[in-house]
Amino acid sequence: MRRAHRAVHRALWPILAFAIALGFVMALMLRPPPDAEAPPPAKELMP
Amino acid sequence: MSAGFRAVQWNRAKLVYDGVLLAGVTLYIGTYILLSVWLDPPKDEPAAIDVRIRSFGTCAFFMLTIILSIGPLARLDRRFLPLLYNRRHFGVLTFFVALLHASFMIEWFAVQNALPSLYDELTKVSDYGKFIGFPFKALGLLALLILFVMAATSHDFWLAFLTPPVWKSLHMALYVAYGLVVMHVALGVMQYDRNPVIPVMLAGGFLCVTVLHLIAGWRERTGDLRDRLSDDGWFSVGAPLSIPDKAARIVAAPGGERIAVFRDGARIGALSNLCAHQNGPIGEGRIIDGCVTCPWHGYQYRLEDGCAPAPFTEKLATYRVRVARGLVEVDPRPLAPGTPAAIRYE
Repeated sequence: MRRAHRAVHRALWPILAFAIALGFVMALMLRPPPDAEAPPPAKELMP
Repeated sequence: MSAGFRAVQWNRAKLVYDGVLLAGVTLYIGTYILLSVWLDPPKDEPAAIDVRIRSFGTCAFFMLTIILSIGPLARLDRRFLPLLYNRRHFGVLTFFVALLHASFMIEWFAVQNALPSLYDELTKVSDYGKFIGFPFKALGLLALLILFVMAATSHDFWLAFLTPPVWKSLHMALYVAYGLVVMHVALGVMQYDRNPVIPVMLAGGFLCVTVLHLIAGWRERTGDLRDRLSDDGWFSVGAPLSIPDKAARIVAAPGGERIAVFRDGARIGALSNLCAHQNGPIGEGRIIDGCVTCPWHGYQYRLEDGCAPAPFTEKLATYRVRVARGLVEVDPRPLAPGTPAAIRYE
């Protein structure tokens, strides 16, 4: 890995990791409760 | 290492690697489908397709997690190096597994005559402004597109055509693809399926990749800080015997590339740490049959001048070395690739 790659890698992946961790935690916290009303028909079609 | 063009340079190691890979994928998907059908038999055709969607989807996620873990694992422990050898085939197979996952998803809509719903879901612009309710399939498709570009350019032809630095930069997009896949699952199936295995799988995979990268990065950084510049700008590497025989110590030039300082008995030579093939860490390799051998794919170079033995033509930059006050020192200014620079010390 070249120096430039290393620099980009070191700068990029912590930001990416933080964004993913934040996104994951938010998606987990904001999940609709299990007894929520059924979603509209178009959304029902979710495999 | 090649002196001519061959579509795929198959050898026994690659065949074994691919065989184990295919067997592992088949075993995982087969077990997943059998267990799912046994525990909760699908009631109709869409439910049966859903099992296939999940089996291929989770398989692709685990494969991506393993691919991203191979790099740091190989740095932390040499026993993982064989995994790195044919990582590109691993990546190509991951793309095909992900492609099948996507094709089953389309089939799921098709058997219910609901393809317009899929189209609506992907094209409803207002949903792209939401967090919960974001069209998560678009994230998966974008990740699939990245995997496609990487699989399509994985051949050595593209490596030579694009040059290793550009190719390497392009293939760093795998991190972005992994992030998209995590969010594809987090905003998709995790929202309507309360099975705790899903968040555990996502968080476990993500943490595994993150922690391994942090440990490997921390170790590398500690190594960099150990290296010292002497008064006249040469690097002090340490006593000759501090360099393991037939192996190297890697030093970091200030503002420059890393240098691999090898010792072969009483011979010491310094080469660029970047293999000419994929810019692999040549300093993590060993001297085999008198040649410095890259740990990734076995490309070889002579220690004295950084040239690959005939008929191969690859060359590495070399660096001047000297032994002063009992310490090996390296001039961090690179010489032209192929310049003889190794020394013999007594």
